Amino acid sequence: MKTHQSKLLAAACAGAILLAGCGKKDDTLNIFCWTEYVPQAVIDKFTQETGIKVAMENYTSNEEMLAKLLAGGGAYDLIQPSEYTVQALHKDGLLQEIDQARVPNIKNLAPEFRNMSFDPGNKYSVPWLAGFVGIVYNAETIPGPVVGFADVFTPENNKRIVVLDDAREIVSWGLAAANIPINDASDANLEKIRPMVKDWLAKVKVYDSDSPKTSLSSGDADIGVVWSGEAALLFKDNPKFQWVLPAEGFHMFVDNLAIPTTARNKDLAEEFMNFILRPDISKMISESFPYYNPNTEARKLLTAEELNNPASYPPGLDVTKAQLFSDIGEQASKVDEYITTLKVQ
Amino acid sequence: MQRAFFGSWTIAVFGFLYVPILLLIAYSFNDSNLNLYWAGFTTKWYGLLFGNEVLLRAFKNSLIVATASTVLAVVIGTSAAWLLHRYRFPAQQFLGLLIFVPMVMPEVLMGVSLLVLFVTLGMPLGFTTMIIAHTTFCFPFVLVGVQARLQGIDPSLEEAAMDLGATPLQAFWLVIVPYLMPAIVAGALMAFTLSFDEYIVSIFTSGSESQTLPLKVYGMVRVGLNPQLNALSTLFIAATALIVVGSQFFTAKKST
Amino acid sequence: MAVSAAAITLAATPSQRRRPGPGPWFFLTPMLGWLLLFVVVPTLMLVVVSMCERDSLGRVIYNFNFENYVRAFDWKWLKILGISVWYAFLTTVICLILGYPVAYFIGRSSERVRGLLIMLVMIPFWTSFLIRTYAWISILSHDGLLNAALMSLRITNTPIGFMYTPFAVVLGLVYNFLPFMILPIYTSVEKLDGSLIEAAYDLGARPARVFGQVVLPLTQPGIAAGVLLVFVPAIAMFAITTLMGGGTNPTIGEVIQNQFTKARNQPFGAALGVLLLILFLFSLWLSSRFRHVEEE
Repeated sequence: MKTHQSKLLAAACAGAILLAGCGKKDDTLNIFCWTEYVPQAVIDKFTQETGIKVAMENYTSNEEMLAKLLAGGGAYDLIQPSEYTVQALHKDGLLQEIDQARVPNIKNLAPEFRNMSFDPGNKYSVPWLAGFVGIVYNAETIPGPVVGFADVFTPENNKRIVVLDDAREIVSWGLAAANIPINDASDANLEKIRPMVKDWLAKVKVYDSDSPKTSLSSGDADIGVVWSGEAALLFKDNPKFQWVLPAEGFHMFVDNLAIPTTARNKDLAEEFMNFILRPDISKMISESFPYYNPNTEARKLLTAEELNNPASYPPGLDVTKAQLFSDIGEQASKVDEYITTLKVQ
Repeated sequence: MQRAFFGSWTIAVFGFLYVPILLLIAYSFNDSNLNLYWAGFTTKWYGLLFGNEVLLRAFKNSLIVATASTVLAVVIGTSAAWLLHRYRFPAQQFLGLLIFVPMVMPEVLMGVSLLVLFVTLGMPLGFTTMIIAHTTFCFPFVLVGVQARLQGIDPSLEEAAMDLGATPLQAFWLVIVPYLMPAIVAGALMAFTLSFDEYIVSIFTSGSESQTLPLKVYGMVRVGLNPQLNALSTLFIAATALIVVGSQFFTAKKST
Repeated sequence: MAVSAAAITLAATPSQRRRPGPGPWFFLTPMLGWLLLFVVVPTLMLVVVSMCERDSLGRVIYNFNFENYVRAFDWKWLKILGISVWYAFLTTVICLILGYPVAYFIGRSSERVRGLLIMLVMIPFWTSFLIRTYAWISILSHDGLLNAALMSLRITNTPIGFMYTPFAVVLGLVYNFLPFMILPIYTSVEKLDGSLIEAAYDLGARPARVFGQVVLPLTQPGIAAGVLLVFVPAIAMFAITTLMGGGTNPTIGEVIQNQFTKARNQPFGAALGVLLLILFLFSLWLSSRFRHVEEE
């Protein structure tokens, strides 16, 4: 049925090109995504079932994607922005509205992911995977209990700590520990938490956003504040790595698929969105990336081992209450300078 | 006696250069994803590599871009070095400084500014733009190397050739270039290495058809560097080493 | 000394240089065109952008002012620049010490062996940079090979923290830049006239003297080139310093990189880059003037 539909679509388009010269379309779906975040197996299956060719370009950070997108280099049909980037792009009118009639599988998503603050009703984005930033520690070398940031940045843990190399993240932890809303990164608040953050950073051994699990696996660090997927991989390898969501406060991040206004093949993009929302396909994605899968139908297909990974699916978590990052715009530059200064002192 | 000292120093330095290489070759046979400890011998990564179309295509693209950039960088760098050495052009000093700009400029700046340039000129991002970008930051390396070799070159070399009836161009090609050959080869090796491993500039100037190996590798870090990469590197090194040793053997046979 | 190679390139070698006729101009024009289009124009664009502002999404707004430059002249950036220059300096010196004997050995070897050895120097660097670096990490890490070896040899009882230290950073930098020192020096050594050295020995000079007074001066262009090709790029390096150093001591390259990514402040990054460029070109020019005076 799907193959039939898309073949019809391709034929219609070819006909349209011949007749009306709608030369802007081509029959290749251009995806611009995080490296390795879209499993090749998923792409191959998509092409196999629909006959649509897929061209993929990669980036390693939201901002890299923004830089290339805004410079106008490529015509991307699909991008993979995080929640605050969706917010920022939508605010500037750079995302196309999704035709939900063409993405019926959206019903597979858990209700809490259908109405998120950065895109209520999934008008402009479809969640890919969600995750958290929390505390992971080597239970063999770090005596408990570890419940929050206060237990991470202790004198005993001096130079045994790894944290994400992300100024915004670090600032949000400081704000949470100081009982300030994590999106309120104003200059005044930054000054308020300066002594605490300075003290924290003096104890850090490694900053690593790409692969914080490396220093934990190798024993150069014993405790860290990292992405949940990293902790899940560590746990899968060795259950000595425990995971805790900070008591002071934590946030959830959601990576999404979205269609930029410069896209040439909106219909192909929507078809792909619908495809990955299928439970069996979403399960394939989860297998490669042990983050939080927002697709309830897909979660039914996951193994017990995957579902019991405390970093992927924190027990007792109420997702509806999870905080999200909102876009802080120009303040990002101040935040970056703030942390760079504190690193150097 | 002196040879012994320099020889053993060289062996020690080569040891330093090759220790991580031997390790990564060993890991290509390691039955583990995270490559932090030995888990058993396997050749499965090599098998998987041959089915990994994306990785192989990226590797091929890297080779194409690096080779083209090297050739261009060598041509531009060598001829520029010679021209600047031999003749007195107006604004010589300024030109000399200008040549160093690509080497000094941080890669991200060059990448972004070239991206904007290409977009303004309406050039589609792909092999051409990548090769242009890579050549631009590679040729100063060739140029500096060749210039060093030109220092103290005997001016009578060229004079003699011209006395025998050669035009300046012929003299350059038949006399100067052979003299410069070690520097040209050195420059080519450096340019190839720089281009093959270039990430930042590539990210900004590549299109979907021209994704090179570093672009794929850098993102893989998040999920753990795939041991297929180790297998790929091992094969590449082995192939290059074989070619080099083989050609030495071949030319040796020829000369005897 | 770092800039004397450039000085050599800029200072005129005397009498032989003629004014160019149409032929040389014809051959120079493509290079000029290339330089103009792909070096001058992007640099000018960078200068323009450095004087702009940006919006919340990071796009450039063409509102000209010098705010970014004012912001750049702050002790924190200068301190970071200083650290970067220091690392680059250390790297260059160590590369020189490690690499010169190797270049000398290879350059004085027989022709067949020479080609082979030079290729062997480069081959390790045709693996991917990240794989090489992660191999080093697995050697130097807490549970890594070096510590395992040291402990089994009873040299130490507890693992030493090699990783994420300045030592690791310099090691990573030296490792990646060593070929760029060896190759240029090799090209200078290769053209050494063996008879000159023999003659010096025949005159009764001891090896150290022969080296210092004959070999070293003759290979000076190669040394200068090697120093230039290591020191200059090393300052703007960031990938190695972050991976090996753990990001605790940010380098200027990292800061500029950040402006284009996390900080979403391209104009400021451009301003820092332009200042770096000016700093370099100024010192290159200065040393060339100095060299010029020396020659006369």
